[in-house]
Amino acid sequence: MIINFKGANTYLGTGGKSLDINKRTLCFLHGSGQNHLSFIQQARFFAYKGYSVIVPDMPAHGFSDGNPCKSIKENAEWINDLLVKLNLKDVVVIGHSQGCLVALELNRILKNSLEALIFVAGSNEIPVNQFLLDLSKENPQKASQMMVTWGHGVDGDMSINKWPGHSHYGEGNNIMCMNKPTALMYDLHSCNDYSDGIDAAKNIKVPALAVLAKNDQMTPLKSGLKFVELIKNCEIHILNCGHFLPSERPIELNSIINSFLSKLK
Amino acid sequence: MSENYKFDTLSLHAGHIPDKETGSRAVPIYQTTSYVFNSTEEAASLYNMEVGGHLYTRISNPTVAALEQRLASLEGGASALACSSGMAAMHLVVSAICSSGDHIVASSKMYGANINLLQHTMPRFGVNTDFVNPNDPEAIKSAIKPNTKLVFGEVIGNPGLDIMDVPKIAKICNSKNVPLVLDATFNTPYLMQPFKHGANIIVHSLTKWLGGHGIAIGGAIVNGGNFDWGDKDKFPTISGPHFALGGISFWEEFGPSALIAKIRAEGMYNFGPSLSPTNAFHLMQGIETLPLRMKKHIENTHSILDFLVNHEMVEWVKHPDLETHPDHEVAKRILPKGSGSIVAFGIKGGREAGKAFIESVQLASHLANVGDAKTLLIHPGSTTHSHLSSEAMKEGGLTDDMIRLSVGLEDINDITKDFERGFKAVKKLNK
Repeated sequence: MIINFKGANTYLGTGGKSLDINKRTLCFLHGSGQNHLSFIQQARFFAYKGYSVIVPDMPAHGFSDGNPCKSIKENAEWINDLLVKLNLKDVVVIGHSQGCLVALELNRILKNSLEALIFVAGSNEIPVNQFLLDLSKENPQKASQMMVTWGHGVDGDMSINKWPGHSHYGEGNNIMCMNKPTALMYDLHSCNDYSDGIDAAKNIKVPALAVLAKNDQMTPLKSGLKFVELIKNCEIHILNCGHFLPSERPIELNSIINSFLSKLK
Repeated sequence: MSENYKFDTLSLHAGHIPDKETGSRAVPIYQTTSYVFNSTEEAASLYNMEVGGHLYTRISNPTVAALEQRLASLEGGASALACSSGMAAMHLVVSAICSSGDHIVASSKMYGANINLLQHTMPRFGVNTDFVNPNDPEAIKSAIKPNTKLVFGEVIGNPGLDIMDVPKIAKICNSKNVPLVLDATFNTPYLMQPFKHGANIIVHSLTKWLGGHGIAIGGAIVNGGNFDWGDKDKFPTISGPHFALGGISFWEEFGPSALIAKIRAEGMYNFGPSLSPTNAFHLMQGIETLPLRMKKHIENTHSILDFLVNHEMVEWVKHPDLETHPDHEVAKRILPKGSGSIVAFGIKGGREAGKAFIESVQLASHLANVGDAKTLLIHPGSTTHSHLSSEAMKEGGLTDDMIRLSVGLEDINDITKDFERGFKAVKKLNK
């Protein structure tokens, strides 16, 4: 659905069901240069399981207008304001990649009032190499292509997909091309500049789940494991795939998240 | 397409990894109609399009999916769907995008069945087509109306071998917010990948060079994922609410793969032109050797062009790789590896000469197919178009004396020797 938020058309994926603020809401936060379509196989799955689902396209991403947020904090404040506008209270936040950093900051803003946090292919820091930062400014399309290639495991190369007929690369590239040209550059700089992840992770007091990827070249497993050590009582799962875990291992990821959610109050 | 693996490798591997349970290296033929659900919840999630998977072979099948994913990878598309024939593919695309009152702009120089579908069948359902010269970008531009929902053409026209200037036409379509749909059967992704030139949707007859062995009929749609279907007034079938699944908007839910999701959910579900798993397997076996075959097809085609151009019994030869072809410059630009292995030529002596030639050759097969590993010939004047007058044939870009040759992979000397046999018979007739 499209809403007017902060003076701009803003798209919220709801998994094909209406938003019901009286239900527990799962708020999915996409990664750098992504949009709601990176959670194609999560949004409908959880909406049809009875949850309210929102997958916002951050400003200048996907179907949302507006100017891109320029820091992780700005992204988190934007999400916080959105949750307030929608009057959502019982919220579980699920971040992928950059979305994990935004979730960390959002939890600080909300002073641990979220119901739970789920980190998918995440870390407390996402340094970005200078070459990719520069390329995202000069040629965002090429930068997107490189991210899609690095980001997927071997299934990407060989077009192995549980979704019949779909290509990880072809779909991934086009999802990233839907964003405004400057969106990726600001996302990557936001990730690279973020340095409060350790404190934010240590501060987590809500139930937490981390699903990491064995062959992740964007947020390497080593970094992810260090991150989850900072979080008290974090449930950890490692799947055999690349960084684009939501599309590479949708059924396994959904099952892990579903099981974690069923244990929450 | 993969950045890490090249075309030849993907032709062999894309879409399949060895089966974990059995170790099967070849793609298994899942000859099954349906799939056991582990729970009612799993069944519901497949019906609701919550996650990927298979529920009934009319909609999808693991063997067919391996073929689809191989095609998506080779074309550099977002997604693909295989179906029972190339014509089924074309009809699925048209019916997914167009409704009564909509309009199509199409090339006037196309395969007869493509023209028949648009000229005679679709108008019965309220979808009308204006046919324009594919080599006239301005004519295409002026033919696009506010209710035009797609522009359709063939990269290499059948049988006239006109070459569409894809980058130029794509630019026009893009500026008018209309998808460019191309039949890329004659070029295959080995010779040219239309998405790199701005096309949006590709349809294939897999029966031809992709399958390559004349043993299985099949078709496919490859979706570039590069078209914005967001205009709900213009493309309500893709971005507006669908009657099923709680009013799903395919564009909102599936973005770059909206068209394929829509076709799978509606076209395959309601019309049912599914590809059999066994045929999908056969077609994939063909694709494994596509790069090798296409190289040899082009090599033999160039040799046969030399032979025909210099032959005393040949009136004319048409192939885009010849400098005499009106689209030679476009062909050089967009088909640098070669413009396919179909050759049209005229034999001195008209309709009767053509007939005599066809009836005298022994190695080349006289039949209504193209793209086989074997050399094929047909004389439209005495077969497919025998009911037409010379004038009517001319209007369709055909002539009485025209032979359509699909150059195969035999030893080139054996092909030319066989043709000499045919020319000898024509000489006898002309005396």
